[in-house]
Amino acid sequence: MSCFFLRPTKVLLRACPFLFSFLVVPTSFAQIQNQPDDGQWVMAAKNHASTRYSTLNQITTENVASLKLAWTFSTGTLKGQEAAPLVVNNTMYVVTPFPNLLYALDLTKPGAPLKWMYQPAIEPASQGVACCDVVNRGAAYYKGRIYYNLLDVQTVAVDANTGKEIWRTKLGDINKGESMTMAPIVAKGVVIVGNSGGEFGVRGWLAGVDAETGKVKWRAYATGPDKDVLIGSNFKPFYKMDQGTDLGMKTWPADTWKIGGASAWSWISYDPDLDLFYYGTSNPSPWNPEQRLGSNKWSSTLFARRPETGEASWAYQMNPHDIHDYDGVNENVLLDLTINGRARKVLAHPDRNGHMYIIDRATGEVISAEKYAYSNTSVAVDLKTGELKLNPTKATGYNTVRDACPAPPGSKDWQPSSFSPRTGYLYLPHNNLCYESQAVQANYIAGTPFVGMNVRMYAGPGGNRGIMSAWDPATAKTVWSTDEMFPVWSGTVVTAGDVVFYGTMDGWFKALDARNGKPLWKFKVGSGIIGQPVTYKGPDGKQYVAVLSGVGGWSGAVVSGGLNGVDGTGALGFVNAMSDLGKYTTKGGMLYVFSLP
Amino acid sequence: MFFRSLSALTIGAGLFLTGCQREKRDIRPSPTRLAVYGDAAKESALRPGGPINPQPVVTNPYNSSGYDISEGQRLFSWYNCNGCHANGGGAIGPPLIKQQWIYGGEPANIFDTIIKGRPNGMPAWGGRIPEYQVWQIVAYVRSMNGQQPTSATPTRPDTIETNPQTLRNRTSGETK
Amino acid sequence: MTSYGRAAKLLCFAAFTDALAFCATDAQSVVNPVGPQSGKIAGLWWFFFWLLGAIFLLVMVAALWTLTRPNRGLAQEPLEGTHQVSQETESRATRVVTGASIATVVILFVLIVASVSTGKGLAELPYKKNTLTIEVMGTQWWWNITYQNSDSSLVFTTANEIHIPTGRPVQIRGLSNDVIHSFWVPNLHGKADFIPSRVNTEWIQADKPGVYRGQCAEFCGLQHAHMIIYVIAETPENFRKWYEHQLQPAGQPSDPTTQRGQQVFMNNACVYCHQIRGTDAAGQNGPDLTHFGSRLGIAANTVPNTPGNLGGWIADPQSTKPGNHMATVAVNSADMQPLINYLESLK
Repeated sequence: MSCFFLRPTKVLLRACPFLFSFLVVPTSFAQIQNQPDDGQWVMAAKNHASTRYSTLNQITTENVASLKLAWTFSTGTLKGQEAAPLVVNNTMYVVTPFPNLLYALDLTKPGAPLKWMYQPAIEPASQGVACCDVVNRGAAYYKGRIYYNLLDVQTVAVDANTGKEIWRTKLGDINKGESMTMAPIVAKGVVIVGNSGGEFGVRGWLAGVDAETGKVKWRAYATGPDKDVLIGSNFKPFYKMDQGTDLGMKTWPADTWKIGGASAWSWISYDPDLDLFYYGTSNPSPWNPEQRLGSNKWSSTLFARRPETGEASWAYQMNPHDIHDYDGVNENVLLDLTINGRARKVLAHPDRNGHMYIIDRATGEVISAEKYAYSNTSVAVDLKTGELKLNPTKATGYNTVRDACPAPPGSKDWQPSSFSPRTGYLYLPHNNLCYESQAVQANYIAGTPFVGMNVRMYAGPGGNRGIMSAWDPATAKTVWSTDEMFPVWSGTVVTAGDVVFYGTMDGWFKALDARNGKPLWKFKVGSGIIGQPVTYKGPDGKQYVAVLSGVGGWSGAVVSGGLNGVDGTGALGFVNAMSDLGKYTTKGGMLYVFSLP
Repeated sequence: MFFRSLSALTIGAGLFLTGCQREKRDIRPSPTRLAVYGDAAKESALRPGGPINPQPVVTNPYNSSGYDISEGQRLFSWYNCNGCHANGGGAIGPPLIKQQWIYGGEPANIFDTIIKGRPNGMPAWGGRIPEYQVWQIVAYVRSMNGQQPTSATPTRPDTIETNPQTLRNRTSGETK
Repeated sequence: MTSYGRAAKLLCFAAFTDALAFCATDAQSVVNPVGPQSGKIAGLWWFFFWLLGAIFLLVMVAALWTLTRPNRGLAQEPLEGTHQVSQETESRATRVVTGASIATVVILFVLIVASVSTGKGLAELPYKKNTLTIEVMGTQWWWNITYQNSDSSLVFTTANEIHIPTGRPVQIRGLSNDVIHSFWVPNLHGKADFIPSRVNTEWIQADKPGVYRGQCAEFCGLQHAHMIIYVIAETPENFRKWYEHQLQPAGQPSDPTTQRGQQVFMNNACVYCHQIRGTDAAGQNGPDLTHFGSRLGIAANTVPNTPGNLGGWIADPQSTKPGNHMATVAVNSADMQPLINYLESLK
């Protein structure tokens, strides 16, 4: 049993009751998580390490109670608002869900009036192939341009000053069930984007697009032969189960990898020193595991690749032959820690399956994988082989399985966590859901869902469907946690003022003390919050906090899609757990910006 | 001289005749072009000029046939309708158990929706599914809203269903 | 003899010779076992047949003798107004009845022992080594077959026809997609019910090559009678060749007619239900057609797989197999022959 000690300069050493101890210290030198901060917000995750931490400390635990609404802006759209607003050069950029409008707001003038609006030419039929509301998770700023994705599988580059479209590249086909919802990152002049569609039997891929010209430089598929997956001679997976040739074909029955899912629809982090970017792939298609025997590589896999060529450096499959729709796409927070006296460059990945993976980001070795939430579908991760030991009584298939936890959205879905180097904690917005399921034969018709599972979700132990918690990587334990009625589907931001912000699906924007979870402030906005809060320094030198409100996403589909709660299997089973959401919130699409008076 | 003017005349006549073809105007259209598509499935309640009486209605030939409604239930999952509409509650697509229909809830409207698709994501199934199967699906969708006789409506889905309340609600058309 | 009597005699004779004739054929017959499982069952069957046949004969002879023995008349037994049977007759009768009862019990006991030991023998056949696992999913009204393997790249799907190597135990994992079906190949084993939400396994083994017909043995709806499965046992070498060929996707059509046929297939509702690996069609509702051309029958072997039957099937599935779930797709006459050619070319 491993145990971690935390020994930063400010916190006292805590005695460890277990036999074997590993000394974990956030290093004081070359910490990737302590990057310089200019008070802007240039990419959805704030920085390439995805810490979502701001050094701004004007708002503190003492004064946050007096936080006031500064101004608002209506996006004119009513679907789920998942984006993070960007702030660059005193301009705020907001991306909306379909029809994926891009607004630029002038922060130098009172009330932040609209500078320009970019309205892309987008195919409305793409709304029919978005599994989980027509959301968009945000944009990235790079060298005077805003880069973001459109739902109909296009990536655009827009001039950040004028709002003119510079290039637009079509990367896929909605008639294959593909769409795009993720926020891109730009690394070494390459815009890295991936498709969505793990519920549609797509063939998942991640592509590198030249930021200057819009031409596709490389495309790494997640299934198929090694040459398609961009696995070459430099590919060195750490564990034996991931070693071999053409595993993207061999671990599938004949030809099923071509409709095998494994899309890359969520977060990407980048380490400029190692020159590696990190991302995970989605669930394999269909959900019904009996139709795709084998470990189904490279679904639910963490990849490390080079940004200029896309070639893979290492990979680790967290959920081989996934049977619970545990996508591997959650964020990878890059941290430099000292473990057992050794300085390790790691990534912290809170997976859907309930385990917090601390992985050496140079080699792919799993250093620890403790559970950060209640789960009975798995027992543990064997650190020698990297294999996830599943609970056989919760194995899905043609039999009915009840009370399996966590439900398909996982202990945590896409909603991103944040890390504070001051407290050393990871702030996890997450779910507490269990489910029952029965597989049925899934039929593949290109452009339509390919799932094959009847699902009903419901609240997990305790009755609350969401939790906001702080996780300490040093002790691999939850330090504090707050129950929420609904899944905490919003992002989080943590500041040097030791305040952590998040939003709830019933419409409260909340501030907690990052050290102990004490509630400090809350504000009721017009609609449930599933977006990512950001904080920035305005042109007047004041610190502002901005968040989009507008419920939706997979969890809020019952409201944003106007679904009928009578049928619990709606929204892939989420309606059964969320049919009361309509009592607490309606649709919305408003940006809220707060500051001290 | 004669031959020169004759050839000029011939060329002139040719040009004139081709001009005739180009300049042809159909000032008085033939009766077949007078059709007014009065029985198309209307999606709007606005009728400029007042209602037309009597209004022709396109009916579903499989109304009230228990076998065909049950076939519609089978095709609803065979053709992945349940992938977007779940068991009537909706998911990617809107619910099909409802009072307010975006594109009209009459059999002709639902038939049109399935065959032609709709702009905001409903796929166009026409061109592959045979017409009789579309009517069977229409009959099933209407049965979900209590618009078919209960004696002909399927009492259970084809998969193992654990919640009898859901079944009752499926055929009542009520919204929760 | 009356005309009724004559008719009855003829019927009995006809039934008897029919039964004999049926016994004499190899196809779908319990009394023609080709593997150890069916061998044990057939052995038990014949044991019952001969033993009980002998008893039947004995009883018939005894009955006939009783009916035809000379009547001894009343004078034999002095009835002094008591109507009592004499002591001698009484004791003789007692002896006979007791003897017959004991014999019956003994025979029944022998039959139980035979039955139980057959069952035990079936359970103890050496199943563990070298088995091939085939998952058979019964669905209205065809058989969905997936060859299993621990190496998932060797897993593939086919329909309505199983090939097995001779001399090797094969595990049939039985599932059902809708209602209860029953897998019965009399030459190979008894019936195994396929129940929804459960997996039932049955072991079969063929010791000599041949085509063994089986069918669904649990009423499952309108076309229960037309749910036929062929188990084709081949030498291990032939089986290996067949298996490797089945793993390959369908080849691209070479001549214009079959190319047009593929186009017709992809343009119609066929792709909503059928899979042809090597094309974009991956429907799972209906049988996999990747190697349809090499199969013996159409529609769960309702009709033999010939171009004429295939055309009739596609043009009007409901007259061949009324009530089955295949859609009636209007293929115009110019496209029908290319489509037939294409499907038959999928060897």
